[in-house]
Amino acid sequence: MWTTVLVSGITLGSFYTLVALGFALIFGVTHTFNLAHGELLILAGYVAYWLWKSFGIPFLFTFPAAVLVALVVCLVLQRLFSLLREPMELNSIVVSFGVAVLLQNGMLFFFSGDYRLIRVPALHQGLHLQTIYLSYSQLTLLALSLLVIGLIYLLMRHTYLGKALRATIQNREAASLAGIDVGRMGVLAFSIGALLIGLAGPLYGSIHYLYPTAGLQATLLAITITIFAGVGRIRGLILGGWILALAESSAVVLLGASWREMVSAVMILTLLAIRPQGILGREQK
Amino acid sequence: MSKAKAKNQRVKQFHLTKVALALGLVLLLLLPVLSHYSDYVLQVFTHALLLATLALAWNILSVSGSISLGHAAFFGVGAYGSALLSLDLGVSPWVTIPLGGLLAAAVAMIMALLCLRLRSAYFALATLAFVEIPKVITDNWNGLTRGSLGLVGLPGLPSLRLGSYHFDISGSPTGSYYFVLCYGLVLLLLVAVIFRSNLGLALQAIREEEVAAEAVGIQVQQYRLLSLLLSGFFTGITGACYAHLVRYIEPGLVYGLHFSAIPMVFAICGGRFTILGPALAALVLYPLDQFIFHPLLPAGHEFLYGAVIILAILFMPSGFWGRLRKGHLVSIKTGSIE
Amino acid sequence: MSLLRLEALSKKFGDHWALKEIDFSIGQGEIIGLVGPNGAGKTTLFNLITGRHRSNSGRVFFAEEDITSCRPHEIHRLGISRTFQSSRPFAKMSALENVVVGCVFRAEFHLFTRATDIDTAKQLLELVGLSHKVVTPAGDLTLSEQRRLDLARALASQPRLLLLDEVVAGFSPLAVKQAVELVRRVRERGVTLFIIDHFLSLSLRVSDRLLALDHGEKVAEGSPQEVMRNREVIRAYLGMRYEDEQHGA
Repeated sequence: MWTTVLVSGITLGSFYTLVALGFALIFGVTHTFNLAHGELLILAGYVAYWLWKSFGIPFLFTFPAAVLVALVVCLVLQRLFSLLREPMELNSIVVSFGVAVLLQNGMLFFFSGDYRLIRVPALHQGLHLQTIYLSYSQLTLLALSLLVIGLIYLLMRHTYLGKALRATIQNREAASLAGIDVGRMGVLAFSIGALLIGLAGPLYGSIHYLYPTAGLQATLLAITITIFAGVGRIRGLILGGWILALAESSAVVLLGASWREMVSAVMILTLLAIRPQGILGREQK
Repeated sequence: MSKAKAKNQRVKQFHLTKVALALGLVLLLLLPVLSHYSDYVLQVFTHALLLATLALAWNILSVSGSISLGHAAFFGVGAYGSALLSLDLGVSPWVTIPLGGLLAAAVAMIMALLCLRLRSAYFALATLAFVEIPKVITDNWNGLTRGSLGLVGLPGLPSLRLGSYHFDISGSPTGSYYFVLCYGLVLLLLVAVIFRSNLGLALQAIREEEVAAEAVGIQVQQYRLLSLLLSGFFTGITGACYAHLVRYIEPGLVYGLHFSAIPMVFAICGGRFTILGPALAALVLYPLDQFIFHPLLPAGHEFLYGAVIILAILFMPSGFWGRLRKGHLVSIKTGSIE
Repeated sequence: MSLLRLEALSKKFGDHWALKEIDFSIGQGEIIGLVGPNGAGKTTLFNLITGRHRSNSGRVFFAEEDITSCRPHEIHRLGISRTFQSSRPFAKMSALENVVVGCVFRAEFHLFTRATDIDTAKQLLELVGLSHKVVTPAGDLTLSEQRRLDLARALASQPRLLLLDEVVAGFSPLAVKQAVELVRRVRERGVTLFIIDHFLSLSLRVSDRLLALDHGEKVAEGSPQEVMRNREVIRAYLGMRYEDEQHGA
């Protein structure tokens, strides 16, 4: 039983990291919080669902459309954020909150409040490895998540663009003085974030019911992992994702399925209690 | 425009707004008659007034500089506290409503211990997370709260007897309306006292410049705590009133985004830095949503709240009423208009 | 008896000593200038006196009472007020309300502002030359007006000791001259003044004595003339290494 928890923790956790990665990247580069993150994820899921259900498009081919929609919305969001005044962090929270409400209502309008699920039959079969059962769904989650995270890692470490992003994350002013266009880095961060959400959304829709208000949980998840990891370390995000998923699975086993929603909330409050200066605490302002 | 002319304009505008407000109050008082006792109209405005009290209560905390995304925690605890005490122990709602408020204040104390030290953005995120805790507990503690099914058949507010007169509250839309209107006016008065008193000076100073506030003798942590407790208390009272007026509550609803987000939207759009702003926004936007947008878009009409808050933060951060009032800042200390 | 006495006051930030073993005392009615280049530790000293930071060692005495571990609001109630290096007005409150805040939070708490506090505030606004801006939101004032407002706010509680941090930074020569006048008038009201002024434009003209810091250490104290002729003070400000050149060359 606990091996199931472990397996679930790592596969789901890797997926959680994928979900959180966009959020963390956007925050690191622009110092803004995107509270519409979860809603964007659900939206991407809905787009995939709609194409799959209404047009019979194979699941894998829905991903590009989802990414495209996510990209459009993210760029609009980036434009809104660029109009914000100080205090950026707080104002971005309120504005993105408004965007989240808009998205929720938009999705309610277009897709109604019914629960939707992308049922891909192939994913529901699985492998038996000794005593462990791994569904193809879990394998896909794990493989795709790690693949994409790995690609992002390579991007950040080994490309000029990635280095520019990392410089902006570490010290915006210094990066700007070094000739990096921090505004453009912001746009880039939102774009990569959109890509990640666009990939994660359909996956989410295949393992979770989609409904307009499902976004909040995903946003809390992203916040938890981002706070845990601090700024700029993908390894921290992966560890955070695994720990969160493990904690959730353990809670489900020990207490029951409906307690799962509280785990990320408790983690956020605990992390902030331990480290009240938040994510950027290491820097001395 | 010469300075004298400009000042004259502002004095005129000031008096005009006073007249408009008085007119609005009269309309509110006469609403049942004016609407021909329409149940629907009264229910919409009763809910609008309820949201107005939530916006006012939320603003008590925001005066000290903290933006909370989790006030539904207080609303839900107040609602469930009062509901359970009256349902299971048979205590009259007139008693359980204040008790619900106290329970909410206790939860506010817990939030304060966990979150108040955090910087404003992290405080907001922490409150967003915080709501989940009472929500999930209420959802799961079936033995106490009947879980996600909610509570049905809650006792309504008993009618008031004055001599031979008999005022129905929970049973009658008119009675409910006047009840909430009275509560709203009382709360408004209280908020006015807070703003206009030395307490208001302290909270506003803390919001503006925390370090300087401490340097002039203000005990910052204690005042912030007080504003959170008051804010939570009144939010809880409103939650309790809601429970006994609607007579049915469930966790998803009372801990939900509707009661967390919408008061914040009203307070910011109306004017965080004013007394009346939050209430006015509620009384304008909610009926707008219900009478105009809801029929047009039965699903998704609440997009309105998302749209107005985005517009407010980007273009009118001091709110509609705040912007209006700025033009004729009344110095409460000198009592004159400049 | 000294009004303010610092005994071996030290403060460390991480690995870096911001203040080392500062001993100094100020007598009632004096005007003391605190001088030194950037990073010398002047504002840190004010922060330690007013309880904003906790010292690592050493003590602060106010009228021979140990106030080392007092919090800022307690310090205010004991009769020490301060202004800040960058002006910190309560932007959305009127100038009058800003000063009233200075009066109100002392011994007893009254729910509603008393007329006496409002009158005191109005008088102080007149003293600093802001009577015509009584109802203006503090955020709408010019920089010089904001600094004067900070001063009025700090005086509102009738402090015995007033700590001014770079009160004339960015001022024109005329404005500095007006500030000199103002400072003298404040002293006439019985307030002892401790002024940080790293540009020296104010402190050389009003101070009875100077205290010079460099890299967290006291390098000189005494009359303005003595201190400004002190080799180490000159070296700290101008970076010339007289000694090194003598010996090394």
